[in-house]
Amino acid sequence: MSDQNNQQDLLVVDQIHTFIGQFHILESVSLSVAKGSITVMLGRNGAGKTTTLKSILGLTPPREGKIIFDGMEIQGKRAFNIANLGIGYVPEHRAIFRALSVLENLKLAERKKGDFDRNADFIFNLFPDLKRLYKLPGNHLSGGQQQMLAVARALVPDNKLLLIDEPSEGLAPILIQQMMEAIRVLSEKTTILLVEQNFIMASQLALNYTIIDDGKSVQSGLMADLVNDPELIHHYLGASIKTRKELEMNHESQD
Amino acid sequence: MNPRTKKILTLAISVVVVIGVIFALYLYAGKEPFIRTTLSGLTLGSLFFLVAAGLTLIFGLMDVLNFAHGSMFMLGAYMGWQLYTNPTFIFGLLPTILAFACGVMLTTVMKPYLIRWQISEKWQNALPKIAYALALFAAIVGFLGLDILGLAKTAMVAMTTSTAGNPLSEISSQEPLSVYWYRPLLMLISGLLVAFAVSKPGDKTEFAPKEKVLPKLVIPLVLLILTIVSTLIRESAPETLLLMNGNWRFLIAILLAVASGFLFGAITEMTLIRPLYVRSFFIVLLTLGLSYVIRELVQLLWDPLAYQMSRPPLFAQSGKAANLLDWLRNGYSTIDISGVTFPTYRLFVIFLGIVMFIFLILLMTKTRLGMIIRAGVQDPQMVEALGINVKKVFTVVFAMGVGMAALGGIGAGPFLPIQPQMGDQYLMQGFITVVIGGMGSYVGAFVGALILGMARAFGDYFALKLSLSPALAEASTVIIMIIVLLVRPQGLFGKKE
Ligand SMILES: Nc1ncnc2c1ncn2[C@@H]1O[C@H](COP(=O)(O)OP(=O)(O)OP(=O)(O)O)[C@@H](O)[C@H]1O
Ligand SMILES: [Mg+2]
Repeated sequence: MSDQNNQQDLLVVDQIHTFIGQFHILESVSLSVAKGSITVMLGRNGAGKTTTLKSILGLTPPREGKIIFDGMEIQGKRAFNIANLGIGYVPEHRAIFRALSVLENLKLAERKKGDFDRNADFIFNLFPDLKRLYKLPGNHLSGGQQQMLAVARALVPDNKLLLIDEPSEGLAPILIQQMMEAIRVLSEKTTILLVEQNFIMASQLALNYTIIDDGKSVQSGLMADLVNDPELIHHYLGASIKTRKELEMNHESQD
Repeated sequence: MNPRTKKILTLAISVVVVIGVIFALYLYAGKEPFIRTTLSGLTLGSLFFLVAAGLTLIFGLMDVLNFAHGSMFMLGAYMGWQLYTNPTFIFGLLPTILAFACGVMLTTVMKPYLIRWQISEKWQNALPKIAYALALFAAIVGFLGLDILGLAKTAMVAMTTSTAGNPLSEISSQEPLSVYWYRPLLMLISGLLVAFAVSKPGDKTEFAPKEKVLPKLVIPLVLLILTIVSTLIRESAPETLLLMNGNWRFLIAILLAVASGFLFGAITEMTLIRPLYVRSFFIVLLTLGLSYVIRELVQLLWDPLAYQMSRPPLFAQSGKAANLLDWLRNGYSTIDISGVTFPTYRLFVIFLGIVMFIFLILLMTKTRLGMIIRAGVQDPQMVEALGINVKKVFTVVFAMGVGMAALGGIGAGPFLPIQPQMGDQYLMQGFITVVIGGMGSYVGAFVGALILGMARAFGDYFALKLSLSPALAEASTVIIMIIVLLVRPQGLFGKKE
């Protein structure tokens, strides 16, 4: 666990166990998300990252364990109640509503009347493309545009916490850059728990990391430490992750 | 071929085919029979639409095939007919229902306090069960004195004997008012106990913030006042109603049918269907069983007879109206439509169908509820994750679908015999409509209903003209369904899986 003190944790997940049907998917996952920063959740494909996010939201409620959001126990509550406490969700695979227009997708996310009008400028500044497309039905958008819409949708109400699941998945490099920039801007407004397979992107954005493997929490700490531990990275995240040297080079070319 | 040109091409071909078929029918049948048969087809189609629209909405959002939809159609007809012909029964029942609803509505007030109650897990499990049992007991005690069967029998007698005379003379008086008060009271207590049980006392996983109590008291208070008022007027109201203008009474009958359908749908969804969403096959069995239960209950209350509902005055005056204005002014039973004499009431049924279609279009495209439904069809989980109570939306959609079926029922009331099995055929045709139009599409339901109505009407026409079996008309709808399924398995407006 990180050496942060608990007062600053917006979200604490404490040893949750989640079942889907008969399958014991999460076997003791614990993590904490410090207020005002980005925490990234890492792990192989099928490790249970998405299930962890869904468990936090109550979409797949955990059978055991505690989840504390903003000082309140939320495990077992209905998903819509949990969301209404101020949690926004950007699901994987760009799950926007295809039958709704861009504008309707955004309007639907309102929790109070006027949410959208209040934040429209901010959203369209972040994703200028959406402004141009706002009348189009969701199924006419390109993959990248759908991903932006999925993020934008979570920004309509004022959320305290955003759960973002693989925002760079399947995006062209230039769009990944744009998405990264957007998430960086967002992190100035809200706390973010990010699932990201792209380690370069994750390492540049996040302050803290937490690793899940095979449904269990295995390690968490400061991102800065993880970057210097290529063995750990290799062990849990597979060989596809680039070495420290490559990472550093990448850092330099970025700056 | 790119999908866009393909789309335009299919559209063009279908338009040409439709115009061709219409023109061929016109040439073959001749002008007058063509118009008459078309109007009959529209009437049938309108009723099919009212049934199919609810079926398709419910299926689209919740994947539920509601086999009780036909019974709910029938129930709408009975409720409306009862109010229109002899409202004693309904006014006798009203205070108890309102009182019960008042009690249940207090859930929102009680819940925030009850879930914070510190009790052991044993009591958490036991208390709701005890409360349900007591609620049932209170309701039974409340109803034992109230002779529902007797009331219904009076209604029936009024129907069968009063054809010659004034229905007013048949209204039987009831027990004195003082005796009557305790029933709403017991039902109120029963409702409160149910509210206590559904609040899940002591359950910490439930969520209900402590908010201002006063706004939450408004609905129960209104219901309480309505209970008192309806108890006071329960004897004078039926008379007043029967003495009022028949057209207004019919309008009230329609509203009552829709409201009771809505309420019945909401209660059915919340109590019977909700626990079974994870096992959708059981829902089929459940709704099938429910349709038999409803039919048996109706037979118990009204006997397995067929009743005739008289048409409201606007459609009753014998004679032929020259045009719409003439009809609306004088209320003739038939109207001249380019040389064809057509019953005005059927015109009204067509009107009902069109109004409901427009209502649905506006609801689905212009309102937040419509937006939620369209989104929920694709991904209810994500809708919930946005902070929307999807369970509640399910209830509303189910209630709305049943309300529309009930509207179909009362709409059909004045020209179909009112009997327990009157909805069966419409359920069947409703399902065929939904399959043709595409599961989940209300536009598909509209087009499918049009096609089926026309097929039935022209099938009947040709069967008569060519002296074929009338079963041909019934078979034609199934044949159309099979053709559509072969050409477009997902239905005309359905989306591919
Ligand atoms: N509906 C389901 N039924 C059965 N098993 C499931 C279901 N959903 C997920 N799983 C299993 O749960 C495990 C964790 O899935 P999850 O989607 O949480 O992984 P993930 O870490 O998000 O993977 P990815 O990186 O591929 O998105 C996987 O082994 C998966 O096969
Ligand atoms: Mg995942």
